[in-house]
Amino acid sequence: MIPFLIIATLLSLLAAAVMAIYSRDPAHSVLSYMGFGLGSTVLYLLFSAPDVALTEAVIGAGVGALVFVVALLQTQNKEQP
Amino acid sequence: MNLKRTLALSHLLTGLLVSVMIIALLGTLRLLTPPIDTIGETLLHINAQSTQVANAVTSVVTYFRGLDTLGEVSILFLSIFGVALHMQHSTRNLFGAHDTLLQIGAQVLFPLIVLFGVYIITHGHLSPGGGFQGGVIIASAFVLRFLAYGDHYEPSARLLTLSESLSGAGLVLLGVLGLLLGDRIFAQILSLGTMGTLLSGGVIELVYLFVGLKVAAEMTLLSQHFIKARDV
Repeated sequence: MIPFLIIATLLSLLAAAVMAIYSRDPAHSVLSYMGFGLGSTVLYLLFSAPDVALTEAVIGAGVGALVFVVALLQTQNKEQP
Repeated sequence: MNLKRTLALSHLLTGLLVSVMIIALLGTLRLLTPPIDTIGETLLHINAQSTQVANAVTSVVTYFRGLDTLGEVSILFLSIFGVALHMQHSTRNLFGAHDTLLQIGAQVLFPLIVLFGVYIITHGHLSPGGGFQGGVIIASAFVLRFLAYGDHYEPSARLLTLSESLSGAGLVLLGVLGLLLGDRIFAQILSLGTMGTLLSGGVIELVYLFVGLKVAAEMTLLSQHFIKARDV
């Protein structure tokens, strides 16, 4: 069961990374990035490292995404007349 | 189209190359240092003898490597300092939404998130988590308030700065006290207690309390600076 879960998480991580690079809308990229952070959290948890998983959840999906969302809002405000 | 295909191909090739390099590096490390497998067991053995802390990761981070944690906290302080210098005149809030549903939800969720963060900090030596994670969780509660209230919510900057600097000074004082009374920086100068109870670990829990308060105040200040960024 656990190896299957690890492989599924790795595949979804790959999908999220590819989506973060190639999606046309920057907002979708930011969402994929947050999904990547969430997937990494699950992966660390599966490898029985709950401390690292908690840090990844807080930093990857929290603070990192906040920085990207703020950058997104700044640039969008500039583009609109 | 041709350019895009070339770009995709180069991304794929770079990814393949990097993964091959990482696998080769890991293999080399494993060949060069065979005793790396036994470090974990040795650490667990020492931890069971010298500290009464259930979470071995916590005792490594704050006790065996206390100086590293101090350096990490000062790096965080310097980065917040740089952001505050760069985004000095903050006037406009990026999130100007005044959604009643979001405001009521933020009112309900704010104390719960802060309580969860305090739980993570105070139980850092018993369960996964600790000062850094709990501090960022507390700061995320403040981010929720910024989102909901926009310009109408302004946490007291003086209180945030005061708690940040006081906890930083307390952390340094704890390290210096360990150096004076014990044999090294962050030495154990309090009674250990019994493993598994809330008041166990002595200095380790105090270090996490200070780190948690400092990180919470710093992250709140950072997100405030980011969210209320000036129109460049």
